[in-house]
Amino acid sequence: MNVLKVSRWTIAAFILPCLIVYVGLVFVPILVSLYSGLLDWNGIGQSTFIGLENYVKMFTRDAVFWPAVRRTFTLAGFSMLVQVPVALTVAILITRFVRRPNFLVSSYFLPVILSVAIIGQLWKTIYNPASMGGMINQILTSVGLESWTHSWLTEPKIAIYAIILVSLWQYLGYHILIQFTGIQNIPSEIYEAAKIDGADGFKADRYITLPMVLPILKISIVLSFIGSLQSFDLIMVMTGGGPAHATEVLASHMYNMSFLTMQYGYGSAIANVLIVMCLVATVLINLLFTRMEKRYS
Amino acid sequence: MTKRKMKIFGMAMTGVLALSLSACGGGGTTNNAAGGSGSDPAASGGDSASGEKVTITFQNIYPDASDPKNKMMKKIVDQYQKDNPNVTIELDSLNTDQQKLKLKTQAASKEVPDITVVNPAAQMQPFVDADLFAPLNDMVEENGLKDTFQSGILDYYTFDNNLYALPDGNNIGVVYYNKKLMQEGGVEVPTTFEEMVAAVKTLKEKGIQPMVIGEKDSWTGSFLFMNILLRTNGGPGFLQEVLDGKKTFEDPAYVEAITAFQQLVDAGAFQDGATSFDYNAGENLFKTGTAAMYFMGSWATGGIETAEVSKDGNVGVFQFPTVGGKGNPDEFMLAPGSAFAISKDSKHLEETKDFLNYFMLNFPKEAFDVKGAVGIAQNVDGDFKAAGYSEMAMNVLDLFKKVKGGDLAFDNTMNPATTQVHLSGTQSLFVEKKDPAAVAKELQAAYEENK
Repeated sequence: MNVLKVSRWTIAAFILPCLIVYVGLVFVPILVSLYSGLLDWNGIGQSTFIGLENYVKMFTRDAVFWPAVRRTFTLAGFSMLVQVPVALTVAILITRFVRRPNFLVSSYFLPVILSVAIIGQLWKTIYNPASMGGMINQILTSVGLESWTHSWLTEPKIAIYAIILVSLWQYLGYHILIQFTGIQNIPSEIYEAAKIDGADGFKADRYITLPMVLPILKISIVLSFIGSLQSFDLIMVMTGGGPAHATEVLASHMYNMSFLTMQYGYGSAIANVLIVMCLVATVLINLLFTRMEKRYS
Repeated sequence: MTKRKMKIFGMAMTGVLALSLSACGGGGTTNNAAGGSGSDPAASGGDSASGEKVTITFQNIYPDASDPKNKMMKKIVDQYQKDNPNVTIELDSLNTDQQKLKLKTQAASKEVPDITVVNPAAQMQPFVDADLFAPLNDMVEENGLKDTFQSGILDYYTFDNNLYALPDGNNIGVVYYNKKLMQEGGVEVPTTFEEMVAAVKTLKEKGIQPMVIGEKDSWTGSFLFMNILLRTNGGPGFLQEVLDGKKTFEDPAYVEAITAFQQLVDAGAFQDGATSFDYNAGENLFKTGTAAMYFMGSWATGGIETAEVSKDGNVGVFQFPTVGGKGNPDEFMLAPGSAFAISKDSKHLEETKDFLNYFMLNFPKEAFDVKGAVGIAQNVDGDFKAAGYSEMAMNVLDLFKKVKGGDLAFDNTMNPATTQVHLSGTQSLFVEKKDPAAVAKELQAAYEENK
């Protein structure tokens, strides 16, 4: 502490503003939300303390809750197990084969900076029935696969996957960028040394790139997981959770409960479950990666 | 990476996580200290004629500057400010959804603007229960304002004999139809539901889109469904009887309505992917002339009137027909509009009341002048035809004259939690083949859970 030769008070004075903002905007709301999760409250009038009744209702009687959890984790699974590996592969290929990669990486990144509302509208048009000019169905029809056409966003069994695809597409560039940067930071001497030892191509990827990019991969995985848990905007724009809750995820269910059905207490309870899930998952992912890193270091 | 770097990195990750969590928790955290509703009964107000500088916040849902209602509002406000130089009216113009959210947040922290907008009956009940609004009983008597309103309309805004809000609209559910497409399809205006289903099939065979709906906003389908229920129940009041415990949702009338609704869907009445079209997108399909029929509240008249499809008086309206020989077409889905309420804790209660009184007194005349007087809640003096209102608008006005009672939309009668179950249940009829009795049973269970 004394290296900086300033008093503890000065340090405290400089930390304080940030700390207050942080606590006020992060911890206090979470605490308030924990409390209101125990209330039967419509957000306006009188509230009644009902203990854990909201949670009992959520886990036992709410017909939408568990399917929403399942869909949330499906999305997270696709995101972690498909999107991130694909992004890693693309990043490796770009680094190896493309001499001026910036243009390509920027292009992949483009959907990320577009507003979700635009993405949603764009893909809605692509998914539309052929009679409304939907691109996918028109292509399928024109190559003679008419039996494959669906009304993608309105068939309850398919709709959620249609949305997942869009979400994967949108954030692919984001993860490519992260991992591309990570790979760039690996010193080229290592590859050269490996080359002399006879490790080239995929062998080099397996024994050099993968271990060295692991910390970055962890960022990607955590971000994609938390992002999936919170996915909300895309679903709101494309289906609004419909048809008949077929695309409802936890975040949208929480929104519906708090704002549309005016059960703030219940909505808060769902929010708390979401918080716990985020925390637990992050800890788990961290553990997993620490173990993997140990193995390689 | 060294151990230390990893630690820093781990902390950074925690930060990212926590930040993102704050977005997670957002839904439930806009509230603060619940309860404690009865703040002292606003002895504020001050002298109304004291000439003291006064600012009144006027929350409204006329944000679109190209909308005649926005111009009309500004005109009345300007005039009032000219007459009362000490009063400044501050406009807080929001679109409907934003306004609903904002008001709920404001209500949670007891910071309701001087004038705000609420929806009738069950939808404004929580706000009234929380004792947020000032009664307007005395104010509505001043300058004869009460007599300008259509008889009975104020009942939807009255709780325990206290009037809490003044409506800007009063609409009914009607079916708009595209005359040219109906002719091409060789179908007549249906007078029974069975004819309607037959007409749908005929139109479909000829490759004409029979009906359209914007079912992503699930209230649209519910509004149509409730009209069917109004018929199968043989008259209004089904939901009230459920509330009174005399009927359940498993009543034959409700099940029959679901069956009828399914017939319509099965006949291919609605466009493909209807549940992904929002209200505007659905209505646009009709406005661009791609569909033969469109069921909607008469508030759509203005928009359809000015659209391409209405050229040469191409659009007509008809009453929703009888279903299975039951019901009376002169009973309509009634949609008393959004309404202006005054905050009980307003710092300038008297001035605010005075302004709202002035505003509502001038409302019908100004609305008439900008051709926005179809479906307002007040009586209008003036010759609509001479003022250049279209033939379709005149038809809608004629239907208004036929109204012999009817039902309110589901969300205006039932609590929000039951409403959501009903809305998604109705929405599911568009995409799945379901057993009507099961749908009804599910709704009844939800109603009992949330009673």
